[in-house]
Amino acid sequence: MKTGKVGLALRYGVASALALLFLLPLYVIVRNAFSTNANITAARWNWLPDQANLTNLHSLLANDSIGIVRAMGNSAVMSLLQTAGTVTVSLLAGYALARYTHRVARVLLGLTVFTLMVPAATTFLPMFIITAQLGWIDTFRGLVIPGMFSAFATYLFRQFFLDFPVELEDASLIDGCNPWTSFWRIVVPNSTGIIAAVGTIVLIGSWNAFLWPTLIGRDATRTVQVALSQFMTSQGVRYPELFMGTLVAVLPMLFVFLFLQRYLVQGLTTSGLR
Amino acid sequence: MNISRRSLLLAGGSLAAAATLAACGNNNPLSSPTPIGSTSASGSASDVTLQQWYHEYGEAGVKEAVERYAAAYPNATVEVKWTPGDYSSILAAQLLTNDIPDVFEYEQGGSLDMIRAGQLEDLTELIGDQAADFNPAVMKRFTFEDKIYGIPQTIDMQLLYYRPSLLEAAGVEPPTTFEQLVAAANAVKSADIGGFFAGNDGGIGVLGTILIWASGSDQLTEDRSAVAFLNDDFYAALTSYRDFLRSGGVLEAASAEWYDGAAFVNGEAAMQWGGLWSLPDIKKAWGDDVAVLPFPAIGANGRPAVPFGAFGSCVAAKGANVDASKAFAKWLWIDQEEFQVDFSNSYGTHIPAKPSLVAQADKLADGPGKDAAQFVSDHGFANDIMWSGALGDAYSTAVSNVIKDGKDPKTEFAAFEATAKTELAKLQS
Amino acid sequence: MTSATAPTQPRRGLWHRVRGRQGRNLWFALFVAPFFIGLLVFVYVPIAWSAYLSFFEARNTVTPTKFVGFDNYLYLLGDDLFRNSLLVFVAFAVFIVPLTYACSLGLALLLDKLRWGRAFFRSVFFIPTAVSYVIAAIIWRFSFFNGARFGLLNSWLRSWGFDPVNWLGGGNNLYWIALVSVRLWLQVGFYMILFIAGLNKIPVETYEAAALDGASGWKLLRWITLPQLRATSVAVVMLLLINAFQAFDEFYNMLGSIGSYPPYGRPPLVHLYLIALGGGKQDLGVGGAGTVILTAIIVAFGVLQNRVLNRGERADR
Repeated sequence: MKTGKVGLALRYGVASALALLFLLPLYVIVRNAFSTNANITAARWNWLPDQANLTNLHSLLANDSIGIVRAMGNSAVMSLLQTAGTVTVSLLAGYALARYTHRVARVLLGLTVFTLMVPAATTFLPMFIITAQLGWIDTFRGLVIPGMFSAFATYLFRQFFLDFPVELEDASLIDGCNPWTSFWRIVVPNSTGIIAAVGTIVLIGSWNAFLWPTLIGRDATRTVQVALSQFMTSQGVRYPELFMGTLVAVLPMLFVFLFLQRYLVQGLTTSGLR
Repeated sequence: MNISRRSLLLAGGSLAAAATLAACGNNNPLSSPTPIGSTSASGSASDVTLQQWYHEYGEAGVKEAVERYAAAYPNATVEVKWTPGDYSSILAAQLLTNDIPDVFEYEQGGSLDMIRAGQLEDLTELIGDQAADFNPAVMKRFTFEDKIYGIPQTIDMQLLYYRPSLLEAAGVEPPTTFEQLVAAANAVKSADIGGFFAGNDGGIGVLGTILIWASGSDQLTEDRSAVAFLNDDFYAALTSYRDFLRSGGVLEAASAEWYDGAAFVNGEAAMQWGGLWSLPDIKKAWGDDVAVLPFPAIGANGRPAVPFGAFGSCVAAKGANVDASKAFAKWLWIDQEEFQVDFSNSYGTHIPAKPSLVAQADKLADGPGKDAAQFVSDHGFANDIMWSGALGDAYSTAVSNVIKDGKDPKTEFAAFEATAKTELAKLQS
Repeated sequence: MTSATAPTQPRRGLWHRVRGRQGRNLWFALFVAPFFIGLLVFVYVPIAWSAYLSFFEARNTVTPTKFVGFDNYLYLLGDDLFRNSLLVFVAFAVFIVPLTYACSLGLALLLDKLRWGRAFFRSVFFIPTAVSYVIAAIIWRFSFFNGARFGLLNSWLRSWGFDPVNWLGGGNNLYWIALVSVRLWLQVGFYMILFIAGLNKIPVETYEAAALDGASGWKLLRWITLPQLRATSVAVVMLLLINAFQAFDEFYNMLGSIGSYPPYGRPPLVHLYLIALGGGKQDLGVGGAGTVILTAIIVAFGVLQNRVLNRGERADR
């Protein structure tokens, strides 16, 4: 293309400035996590941290009212279980909805698309009442299972399987597989890309979830998002510990994200999300 | 967890029954108040596990203290649940489940909705004549239709902290009227320090209901059929506070909320509306340069006011071990006076719920602590039991509209009055 | 399944039909059962239950006895704060939807025109997707938009000689700046990826043909790129609107404090939470009515959107 040198330089200038702006919040976490309270609350904003050691990490770990280690563990258990559950359930349903076209299948597909429009958050209150009635408050069951039935994930998988070559399955059926074994031996191994993409979306969403864990999570199952949210308005909040906690909570997802970003981009690009 | 706890109780059914009987015996005011005795009950009673809930106290050491009290109870195993965050919502949700906390604290000894829904055990007989040992104002607030649903644990109150040296340097007297507060705040503020701080919303959240009392009115009429403060004095109080905010004397944002002493401790404001519980932190920072006042009188019919409240220990009516729970609540909050003093006095500053124990609370012996205890008896007010969440919401919306958005108080509160009427009629039935 | 063990003669035909050829229908059921049973138990039954509760006075109970007809609905529709929360959603959507749309499309176009370092910049803009609303709210509330003098924006204002501003305290509408910017930061990268995918699907020949006709710059964007991105745009706008309707986390964490939330800046879900579960009160009847009303609004909206979308697609063909 006939882009001039000036134009190109301008584009890189804008892109770099925006990149700095996008990274600024993450930098502020780091700056605050390695600062004393005095540095954070100083009348004049200091760009540099003034306590570049592990003091704040130690006091964070010792702070019972955040309970960061426990909360991180709870978040990990919850988000991994939820990811595994959601992906399995939706993969099965999405596959069937792509392969079967009889009347029941069409009705169920319509139901899925309809559910797509009613986001789970809108019905948090009735979902909460059911969960309470099951006695699932403050349990991992209560945190994970009610949010495991994602119309969004099912729909993404269905769109993917519409383009998946049927010939492979047909061949395996002739080789003596039934639809179930053919699904696990042939279809799943050839769908790792989309599974990774949907899995990443669910994992990030689950780790970052707030409203539902706030309602369900208590002593035994308080997640890291809830712990931070509660600490930030509590009596005796200390900024350095709050931001060190924020840093600790954000790091795992940043790593997961950088590692799986490729699949995510691919999945979003190739999926029928349009 | 839930299931194993229940099945355990089922398996030990006969033992649980024995414990229940023993606990009933203990209810009899004529029987000895000492623990049921290790001869018959210790084996069976220790099979009973009670769950006791507290909200998260911000002061260091409270959690360890209540766990110590629970461990000292001889007749049951008591598990303490410590609940950070929006305690009352979390508790209300838990009470709907099958895993009901046996004993729990609740503001002002339970809400009207909880009483109406039959969630709270009637403790009137359990407390019996010993009701007279407690602070009469608190006991009056805890009593609804001649019944008591909670045992007062300790009294909390809010008050105005100020630094006498700063006021003196600015040449102003400690404020006893609202005009003086405005003048003082504007006189002491500088580029480095704010005048008066009462929360990051400008103070309207915490001071909202105080304006009713300080302008000389009450929340509700005697028969609780209508609100009782919609008069010119109250409207004038609202507009005075609005003018105060606009004058710049109010520090509108600080590093922490009003319920945390941090803004005052850090020297962000010369005066702060805060909780008595923050007194130790504040004294540690400013030593003798701290004094306290009630919220000053507003207008011609005004009077000084401090809000007070007490967490009450309640027993879940649908709990698995109601009688054992009652016995425990009585043991801790009526019998164990040593623990009661420790709870009030050793972590933060609170006022013991029994006036006879105030003398043992050394933090209330002199200075700001002593003044604070006096304020409660002279100028103390508490939210009416029918000042429900819905009513409070409607009220603070109207207050916010008047003070923040400059709306006319009369029109704003005309709408509020209609809402209040419907809500009160609902609550009366 | 049990009937398979003892199929009687006249029922074999029916059973055969239910099973389908080579048990196709049974396999189908095996695949979809977990998902649809879950959907039934955790989405549809709860909605039905809350619809039932909405006709009762249900304070602190899920088994109410006092039937009140449409009182809860009337109460909500007469409640200024509830109507206000719908307005808050509209106001929020009016800002956040076009802004996110324009910014994410802008970023996608910008990246498209870069020669090297594309992957790097894409990652940088995409990274906030991994950050939670809670964490972003903590940064925005305590560092950027802190009303105290040490907030980043207030430090700048002060260094230029202005008074510090109470950004989140209400009394002005400045808290919107914080709320809109935090959401923008969090979600712009995700939609940028969708637009990049859309851009990659536009055939190069289309551009070449247009370039031959002498089109360039804005004209190319207006007449080639945007029409080709139509399907992506519709999906993006719909997702943005649904997300805006569900706004809860950043509002709750930036404006609320223990047991209290200001009367301003309440989107629908926050208000529903506050009246039904917040601050110790528990009004499940009114909450149920609120759920029904909000679900109805969002379904009606979705149906409308679908109609428009379908008509648009037909027109496209």
